[in-house]
Amino acid sequence: MSAVLQIYNLSVSLPRGRAGNVAILDELNLTVAAGEMLALVGESGSGKTIAALSVMRLLPPGAEVTGQINLAGRDLTTLDERAMRRVRGRDVGMVFQNPLAALNPSRTVASQISEAYRVHQGGSARAARARALELLGEVGIPDPAKRLDDYPHQFSGGMRQRVMIAMSLACSPKLLIADEPTTGLDPLIARQIMALIARLRREHEMGVLFVTHDLSVVEEHADAIHVLYAGRSVEWGRAVDFFAHPRHPYSEALLGSVARVGQQRLQNIPGNLPEPESRPPGCRFAPRCAYRQPDCEAAYPPPLGRAGTRAACLYPLPLTDRISYAQEAEKPPASNFTPQLEVKDLMVRYTSAAGLFRPASTLPPALSDIALSLGRGECLGIVGESGSGKSTLGRAVLQMIPYQGHILLDGEDFAALRGKPKRQQRKRIQVVFQDPRESLNPRIKIGDIIAEPLRLAGISGRAELKRRVDALLGRVGLNPEMAARLPSGVSGGQAQRIAIARALAAEPELIVLDEPTSSLDVSTQAMLLNLLKDLALEAGLSYILISHDFAVVSYMADRIAVLNAGRIVEMNHTGRLIAAPQHNYTAALIGAAPQLRTYSR
Amino acid sequence: MIRMIATRLASSTLTIFILVTLVFFMAHLTPGGPAYSILGMKATATSVQQLNARLGLDEPLLKQYAIWWWHLFQGKLGYSYLLSRPVGSLLWQYEINTLVFYTVSIVLSTILSILLGLVQGVYFGSWPAKLIGGLQLAGYALPGFFVAAMLVLWFSVELHWLPASGITNLREVHPGIGSYAAHLVLPVVTVTILTVSGLSRYFGEAVHEELGKDYVRTARAKGVSFTTILFGHVLRNALRPLVTILGLSFPYIFTGGVIVESVFNYPGLGWLMWRSALSQDYPILIAIVLIIGVLTILGNLLADIVNGLLDPRASYE
Amino acid sequence: MSERALPGGGLSTGMPSAPLARLFGWLALRGTLATGLAITTAILFIGFVAPFLYPVDPFAIHPDHALEAPSLMFPLGTDELGRDELALMLSGGFATLIVALPSAVLSFVVGVAYGLASGLGPAWLDRVLMRLLDAILALPSLIILIFFASLVTLDNTSLILLLGLIAWPSLARLVRNETIAQRGRDFVLASEQLGATRFYIARVHLIRVMAPVLVVNGTFLVGDSVFAISGLSFLGLGVQPPQVSWGSMLESALDIVALDPWWLILPPGLLIFGSLLAASLTGQGLLARYGGGR
Repeated sequence: MSAVLQIYNLSVSLPRGRAGNVAILDELNLTVAAGEMLALVGESGSGKTIAALSVMRLLPPGAEVTGQINLAGRDLTTLDERAMRRVRGRDVGMVFQNPLAALNPSRTVASQISEAYRVHQGGSARAARARALELLGEVGIPDPAKRLDDYPHQFSGGMRQRVMIAMSLACSPKLLIADEPTTGLDPLIARQIMALIARLRREHEMGVLFVTHDLSVVEEHADAIHVLYAGRSVEWGRAVDFFAHPRHPYSEALLGSVARVGQQRLQNIPGNLPEPESRPPGCRFAPRCAYRQPDCEAAYPPPLGRAGTRAACLYPLPLTDRISYAQEAEKPPASNFTPQLEVKDLMVRYTSAAGLFRPASTLPPALSDIALSLGRGECLGIVGESGSGKSTLGRAVLQMIPYQGHILLDGEDFAALRGKPKRQQRKRIQVVFQDPRESLNPRIKIGDIIAEPLRLAGISGRAELKRRVDALLGRVGLNPEMAARLPSGVSGGQAQRIAIARALAAEPELIVLDEPTSSLDVSTQAMLLNLLKDLALEAGLSYILISHDFAVVSYMADRIAVLNAGRIVEMNHTGRLIAAPQHNYTAALIGAAPQLRTYSR
Repeated sequence: MIRMIATRLASSTLTIFILVTLVFFMAHLTPGGPAYSILGMKATATSVQQLNARLGLDEPLLKQYAIWWWHLFQGKLGYSYLLSRPVGSLLWQYEINTLVFYTVSIVLSTILSILLGLVQGVYFGSWPAKLIGGLQLAGYALPGFFVAAMLVLWFSVELHWLPASGITNLREVHPGIGSYAAHLVLPVVTVTILTVSGLSRYFGEAVHEELGKDYVRTARAKGVSFTTILFGHVLRNALRPLVTILGLSFPYIFTGGVIVESVFNYPGLGWLMWRSALSQDYPILIAIVLIIGVLTILGNLLADIVNGLLDPRASYE
Repeated sequence: MSERALPGGGLSTGMPSAPLARLFGWLALRGTLATGLAITTAILFIGFVAPFLYPVDPFAIHPDHALEAPSLMFPLGTDELGRDELALMLSGGFATLIVALPSAVLSFVVGVAYGLASGLGPAWLDRVLMRLLDAILALPSLIILIFFASLVTLDNTSLILLLGLIAWPSLARLVRNETIAQRGRDFVLASEQLGATRFYIARVHLIRVMAPVLVVNGTFLVGDSVFAISGLSFLGLGVQPPQVSWGSMLESALDIVALDPWWLILPPGLLIFGSLLAASLTGQGLLARYGGGR
């Protein structure tokens, strides 16, 4: 197989503040063959996006690049800007994250795709338009002729990404670079996009460089894997070999922290990714590695491994080892229990008031006929795609939005309460939101944020408050000195832990978790989910966990309710639901989530 | 689309209604009531009483309100006793002067702002951009009458290049275009300086912001040249807020600027308002306030509609 | 978008934009605030302290020294009546600031109160208040000012009230929009869930998050007030003779512009310019320094 892309010893440094240039990527070597997909995997800060942008030479000004980038034999680093412009779009296509922002909202889809074609092939507007039509069909847009003159906002998220892909294929490039194209898309849609990219690479004999932080996304389709950590390659090789026998401790940890359907325990990687300025000499993963030895930190390990993948590790995992996970006994379903929370006949309808020329909104209800119950200490998972109403359900339980129907906590109906008693009752249910930064007031110190529920409960006195706040910080695994900082001074994972600490301070009985890990890295996610599990056992908390990620929910929940278009499609105990889904939609969702495969059992 | 225009139109009509009512009450705030203000210096107790009776000003307030609307629909804006002319025709005469003056200014300002804004946005951080930024800050803080005074000082008094005031050369019996033009220069320059400071900053920011957006990166990834990106992609997005601002400035073409016109003794609508305020000619004042208010609301409506037409996303609200 | 920068020289609506801070990011951040505060101090000194330090009577007429350029005897020259220009400038400064500052405070209080009421109150109140505001905002402030100035006797109190009650509408709209935007943020929702009342949330959360916007607009409001009183005085509808203000000084100078009285035009003009500049720079400097993290 001929190589489409060959990168030799690529090192990139970027200007960072007054310190001058900092090395972001060190000596990257990789090869993408025609017709194959290479997954470049790494967490945020690993340098993978920089690597992708380097191939396109779209780095920010001030970047220093050394090394060679060969595209079909030609070294791109030697080209001047003009020549490079001819390469971009014609020989290499690129698909970005967040297609709504990546498309010009003021130009039709046809004009943007045609542009990609005409810039390189010239020709008439008509020919370009015909090509655009052809491409839309190829990427699976239904009724392409009608949609040619639509604007980007008129497409759904998944369709927009298809448009992006169509645009990148306009000149039949030899290489396609995809930078996290499925992030932010619903799991079912994401799967479709992956399948599309895989199909295109086969049909066009195109090489695909797929950049992602999520291994589970590329499991099915990647031919080769390349793992980056803190700017250096740690493991690379054929995907088959990688998933069967990862050699590098980091790869093992990464695979272990991905929540998979049916998994019992997530592996946690302690510590944080080092900042580019403060990367350790020697193996960069060593400080966090469970298997580290003294000589790991001396100098950067050369690649080892003869069979299977190559790993930059002095002590790669032996081939015969398997990843093992602590098995937890599945909690037996309680035979009869008085439910802590009960929801009956819940309906939520968003209405917009009648305008001058418009009758009151006739939109379908966001939720209808919702009935469920939650026992003490139980975790109920709510799964659905965007628009299914799962967040709305959470907000209704939290009493944040008006609803029709009944929500009872310990037998008391919220609808019958007003004013102070209602506020008291509400306090017993707390919330953790998706975006940890948004849920903390950026201008209030962390100590005060956590102290707020305490103050509201009437606790006063600096010493007492400090004692409790420190205790809460400790419970979520944070240092008491963090109390003096502002939210801008902590990482996303830490911020989410602070949000949890704040929720705990109110001594709730039930916590609604609304996509608590969706905006975090995979390894941070693992840490957080484990923390939540531990807290639940310790404090006897119940959870309602809302997520679009089936695997995450199945890891945490005792029972799962599947929501689609505002209705509960199926609800059952986790184990039974996964083993024997009754509804097609449930089965599809399960199928789209990362699966537990033989190599990890 | 039509529905959006209709809704906005209805909304604006309501606002105009409230405005006219407010002005009605303002009119009745004038000391001694409208009769006194109409008679002005000729008022005596009896004449006020007589005028009140004649104008129906001793009728209940609600009835007067209705009559007010009736008059408005007929286009009767009042009668200036001080100048002994119906307000309507008076306004129109001064209106034309302001129209000419401000249309020229706005056109010039827009062109300059686009040019400066482009430079500032594209070359952000470089010394020309910083220079422009500094000038914008200065222009923003300079009061209009100060700028005008300085200009008059330099160009009229020191250099004798341009006339200091008025609209034409008073010595000419039939003033030609040249005379009009010469008298327009300084006022237009003043207004342009003031306008460009804000407008170009706005546009410069918009350009800079658009250049940082994702779709520009996508276009580069397609191999599109920078010039094409600028004029084919960025401009249409960056011009939109500019057009909105221009739509909002539209009323100024009619209403003019009191201060600049007063400095140059340029007989436009703003100047008229100033002199009316000084001589307490309330009918004119009320009429001008009313017209300005209505025009501003219509200007907002225009800006809304134009924005809706230009932005493909807006029509899908 | 500042109305002031639009044709008409009308009153500035004092709407800054956070992007403005970005644009001036290249100004050393400390430099902006420092410069702004320095100029502010200078202006305040000129207005409130200097008049007591320079003992010359501003209204004393010296007919034999009329219209003299700056000299040792008269540091800034004399006007057409032979009055000391420097003394006039200081007196005018006091007269200008004594009206501008209190009216700015008045506008600020009214504007913020109106905006908060609209943003935090029931939906119907918001609709009513905003509709009313739309109508009020349709009239350019200078126009309203001129109208009302022609109605009332113009002493300091009435001027303060007049200016104070004219400039608040756009601030009110800004505050209301900000309140509504911040009201729905996650940390506010979390606080509600913890049992906080609306007042608690407003006090503890909203004010803190809106503080940068409020401060910047507050400083802009001061600049606008100086501009407004100067503009009114320039038109003869502000500070009345025999008292002088910077605006009226410019007007008198313009009357005799044919005599090339540059020393009569520069001082008041530069001082008004300085006030506006100080307000802009201070506001932007404060925003750049303390406005981070919203």
